[in-house]
Parts: sequence; C-alpha cells; structure tokens
Amino acid sequence: MLSPEDLSAFAISLRLAAVTTLILLLLASPLAWWLSQTRSRFRSIIEALVALPLVLPPTVLGFYLLLGLSPTGPFAGALETLGIDRLAFSFQGLVLGSVIYSLPFVVQPLQNSFYALGKRPLEVAATLGAGPLHRFIHVVLPLSKLGYLTAAVLGFAHTLGEFGVVLMIGGNIPGETHVVSIAIYDHVEALEYSQAHWLSAALLALSFIVLLVVYSTNKHFTLVRS
Amino acid sequence: MIDVDVQLDRGSFRLQADFEVPGKGVTGIFGASGSGKTTLLRAVAGLEEGARGQISVNDSVWLSRDADIPVHRRKVAYVFQEASLFPHLNVEGNLLFGRTRVNELVHQFDLEEVISLLGLKDLLHRDPESLSGGEKQRVAIGRALLSKPSLLLMDEPLSGLDHGSRKSLMLFLEKTIQSLEIPVLYVSHSSDEIARLAANLVLMKDGLVSAYGAIAEVLVQVDSPFATSEEAFTVLECRVGEGEDLHISHIHSRGGETLRISKVRHGVGMPVRLRIQARDVSLCLTRPLHSSILNILPATVRALSRQVENGHRTVKLDIAGDNVLARVSEYSCQQLTICPGLELFAQIKSAALVT
Repeated sequence: MLSPEDLSAFAISLRLAAVTTLILLLLASPLAWWLSQTRSRFRSIIEALVALPLVLPPTVLGFYLLLGLSPTGPFAGALETLGIDRLAFSFQGLVLGSVIYSLPFVVQPLQNSFYALGKRPLEVAATLGAGPLHRFIHVVLPLSKLGYLTAAVLGFAHTLGEFGVVLMIGGNIPGETHVVSIAIYDHVEALEYSQAHWLSAALLALSFIVLLVVYSTNKHFTLVRS
Repeated sequence: MIDVDVQLDRGSFRLQADFEVPGKGVTGIFGASGSGKTTLLRAVAGLEEGARGQISVNDSVWLSRDADIPVHRRKVAYVFQEASLFPHLNVEGNLLFGRTRVNELVHQFDLEEVISLLGLKDLLHRDPESLSGGEKQRVAIGRALLSKPSLLLMDEPLSGLDHGSRKSLMLFLEKTIQSLEIPVLYVSHSSDEIARLAANLVLMKDGLVSAYGAIAEVLVQVDSPFATSEEAFTVLECRVGEGEDLHISHIHSRGGETLRISKVRHGVGMPVRLRIQARDVSLCLTRPLHSSILNILPATVRALSRQVENGHRTVKLDIAGDNVLARVSEYSCQQLTICPGLELFAQIKSAALVT
C-alpha cells in the first residue's frame, strides 16, 4: 500500500497541479485573447515563445530555471526585494517551473477557442452597448466553456506528469518538492516495484476518472483539435 | 439629420459615401451586391477599422477628424443578415442583453411592448438553435429595439429567409420600423423591400453614393445608374377609392388619376403605396382601344436618359403630377420620336400594392 511519504508526494503533486492550473488560467486568458485578436508583428514571436516548452527538453528548461532562480542568479536581487528568499528547491519554484512548462497546453486551447468564436458575437455585443470587459465576461467566457475545460484538463495533467523540470529545480525535498512522478522513479530505482505500482495505478485511475467525467458531461469535448 | 461622409480602403475596393438624410424614418440603402452597402452600414456602426471622414446622427458626432467613438458608445443597434443570436442565452436572455445601456424601469415597460409587437411571448424560454429563421430574426430585431438605440441599422434582415417567413416578417417590419421615433438605415437589394419600407433612399454603386434623398425624387433621376438599370421602379403615393369592379379596386393617385389593381382589403380612403417597375410601363402615341391592360393613362414625357443601356432608354413621365419611369427600347424611342414635352399614353402592365 501507499506509505505516508507516497501519500504526501501525491498530495504535493495534486496541489502543484491545482495551483499551477489556476495561475495558468488567469495568466493565459488575456494572453490567448491578445494572440487571437492582435495583428501585431510581435505575435509570431510571442507564439513561438509560448510554444517553446512543447519542443524543448524539460531538462533544458529546468537547467535555465535553476541558473535563473539560484541565490546568486540574475534575479536574486529582484526576488529578495519581493521577500522571496529562494525559489530553487522550493514549492514556489516548482509552481513557477510548472507554469512555464505547461503554458502552451493552456494558451493554445484557449486561443483556438477564441478564434473559433469569430467576430460576429462580439460585434453584436458591441452594437448592443457592451464594452470590452462586458463582452469578454458575458460573451467570450460562456462561449469558450469547452476551451477552458480543455485547457484546464491539459494544464492539470501535464503538471501532474511533469518530471524533467522538477528533477532539475525541485531537489526532491520530502513534504515540499517530492512529487509523485519523482516518487515513482525513486521506487523503481530502489527496485520497490509494488510501491511504484500503487502510485502508478493511482495516477492512471485518477486521470481516467477526470477524463470520463469531462467527456460524459460535455458531448462536444475534445482534447485534440485538428 | 444623419450626416455621413466616410472613406474606407479595403484592398482594391474603395468606399466613398457622402449623403445626408432626415433623422427620422426609414432610409433605404439600395444597390447591387458588391456596391458597398454593407461596408457603409458597418462603417456607420463603427465596425470597420480605418474608416475616415465624419458621421453624425441627430447632433451627436460619432466620427470626425478628432473623434472616433467606439461601437459600444455609439448608441447604435445592428440587425445582421444572419440573426446572430447568442447561442448561450435563451430568447429572453438575448432580448435583455442590451439592457446594460438602459435604465431598468424604462426597460421593463418596453420589454412587454416589444414581446407583443413581435409575437415573441411563446418563444421566451426557447434556445436560439430551436427557432426557425424567421423567429430568430424577430428576436434579433426585438433585441436591437430593446437596447434603445438612437439609430437602427438593418442589413438585409430578410434575405436569408424562405418565402413564407419573409412575407410574415415583412408585415412585422411594416408595423414596427416605420413608426419608430428613431431613424433606420435599411440595406437591401430588393426593390420590393425598399418600396415598402423606405421614405428616403441612398443609391450605391461601386462604393459610391450615386443619389440620395426622398424616395420618389431619387428614383426618377433618369440618368442615375439605378434608373437606367432593369431594376428601375417608381412609387406612387395613393388612396384607396370607392369604385370597385369584378376583383378590382380603384386607387386614386394624388393628381386624381384612377388606377385599377387587384382587389385590396384596405378601407376606402386609406393611404397606400404602389410600386411600378419601369419595364412594366410601355408607351403609345394614341390611346389603345380594346386592350387587356387595365391602366392606360395620359402622360407627358419630362425627360429621357442620355445613355442607352442594353438598347433601352429610361423615360420619365408625368402622370397627373406624379413621376413614373418607363423603360423603352431605343428603337421605339426613335419610331415614336419620344422627346420631352410629348404627350402620349402610358400602359402600365402591373402595379404592385406595397403598403
């Protein structure tokens, strides 16, 4: 069965995924909206930057984060004035890493969903006197429900399964940065296959149940858009 | 007063629209497809980026050299060709969407009025996707009216509908939009819709306004691209007369001429409008006897179009003070030596009652 240590790893992973998803939804909404509407020439640059984690080995991302976040790194001074003494080897550090790592998985479904809306509903709303914020809250959000669901599921799942970045910047501190994917790896390394099984099966079941609930409550739901 | 002078460049297309129409009543914007009607309407609403020039509606300036009021502050409502209802709201939610702009108390009162006017009572809790095309468009019109605009824009609201719904929605439009306190700009390429609804007319061709003004005056400018086209028509303001023969009603023009048309239900003395297509009017130098054509009226030629289009000229006639256009072949014009001042007879093959 699961040891207290495994349970704590599980809890940390869930917390990490939840916090990351929440931050990402808040962050990605304006970003994806801007990307879907703008005709700025900076759009391609921003899109490429957002998509980088899709193609970059997570260890590379982790490596640069490690350098950037270390107490002697370039952002150390800025972090200190913000009252954050250390990001590397901390839960906050993991959140930051996960936000960057999972960004494209949240931005892209939202961006697609905003594109798919077309201009018309917004034009109608504007001619009925709705300002930009009112249009976003009362037209864009409700019509992008499925996009948000896809974004949340993908963001959550990717953070949950994250390994490389965590390995580089997490430091594997029990109760703080010891997440479930690392715990499985450690068990396998130590030839504790039965415990690896329990954790893996729990993740498998969790993922399946989440998808089952989402698919059965949303008939047009799709994770992959053509 | 609606005063528009806008320019807009879209690749190879250039809109350059300059017109002035009264700040009340329905103004038809008429022209072939691709003539820029919709672009003009969108520019007035503020939906076209890059529109320059000036737009003012009853003293509020929407566009000028130093102001470009955003769409949601223009107090404009737009009925699109496709009803474009919000799919996430039911009919009631759609109707109430514009309420942000409106004082709640005023709103409550008008909601019931609009619901009964447009016959929406039984639809309130339905989803847009369950409505027919005509029902959707009625909701869209109701939604636009409830947002209390100071200008209503309608872009071919009937063109996407089947014949039946078009006919019944037309009746709704005649009841509602002509009696509104606010001005309406109504885009259409259907002469029937324009003849029924519009008091004023803006004619568009190739992105330019070719004529504008009161409908009866604009339609009879013989050299306008409209008057020389096959679509040319004129409207006569008339009253239903007393006489009545077999299935026929007598209609009196303002100058006292009597026209006979298929029996109408309107009561005696009611004002009606007749639409006469220029191609349905032919000319004779002497009064034809023994003709099956019901309406043969004495007329005086006032003008001829300078251009010959497809072998035809447009002739402007004066029939007891009203102007009517006739589309006559150039050959006939020469045979009959038609020239201004000539007195002859106009045979009107058909005249449609439009109100």
